[in-house]
Amino acid sequence: MSVRRGADPGLDEIRKGREEAGPVPRKGVGPVAWFDIRRRGLGHFAFSLNRITGLGLVFYLYLHLAVLSTLLRGEDAWDSFLGVATSKFFLLLDVLLIFGLLAHGLNGLRLALVGSGRAVDQQKALYRSIQVIGTILLLGAALRLMGSE
Amino acid sequence: MAATRAPSAAPERSRSRTWAWTAGSGVALLVLVTIHMVAHHFVVQEVGGLRSYQQVLEYIANPVIFVIEIAFLVVVTIHSMLGLRSVLFDFGLSERAKRRTDRALVALGVATVAYGFVLIGVLASRA
Repeated sequence: MSVRRGADPGLDEIRKGREEAGPVPRKGVGPVAWFDIRRRGLGHFAFSLNRITGLGLVFYLYLHLAVLSTLLRGEDAWDSFLGVATSKFFLLLDVLLIFGLLAHGLNGLRLALVGSGRAVDQQKALYRSIQVIGTILLLGAALRLMGSE
Repeated sequence: MAATRAPSAAPERSRSRTWAWTAGSGVALLVLVTIHMVAHHFVVQEVGGLRSYQQVLEYIANPVIFVIEIAFLVVVTIHSMLGLRSVLFDFGLSERAKRRTDRALVALGVATVAYGFVLIGVLASRA
């Protein structure tokens, strides 16, 4: 496929893809379009949130592997890390991580259900449900983490 | 007017297969990340749910946990590489660039799983 500059690349593909089962393509593809909220619906917001949290979680995967590598250097190195990781600032970052996990995981579950044709007509109700469930789980996790200080 | 060719079904099949793998690995991840977060962090009474050095070694040396953590590593890597692929393909890459991206992501995924496997293995052997 050649890249067309100027106009939206692959617009015909997007229109064609919307008529078929599977992933739901979006108008205005590309990372810049994720932040363009003009004349966009709930679906676009959920799609953009999934992409942004997904990139954040990939970054965290490698950060997590780097942090766990500290264990290879022995108990003293791990204890030094714990001293930093148990500060209030880092516990707040943990809450942010759990927000990312919940937003990406629950919205991904919604996308899997809609994309597989199982809940196409209920996608807005599903979105509201995951917001409620996600908020409850996030509050519970935040209280657990911050309360353990 | 240029002659038109009947569109091949192969890219569509590939798109559906990729989507099925992303969705399937995502659903598996929901289960595995819940186990990981609860078993590794939320049952611990330490600050922030972080285990001490000895606690981590004992945890990872448990055969059931070892298998779950390896499964978690493999599934999270597959899901991450597929997600990165989707994001990169959003830039409207040429077919050649897409093939190169696929190869690079496979290499990165294999390296990630290999490193994680060595890390978990070494830690489990120290318990």
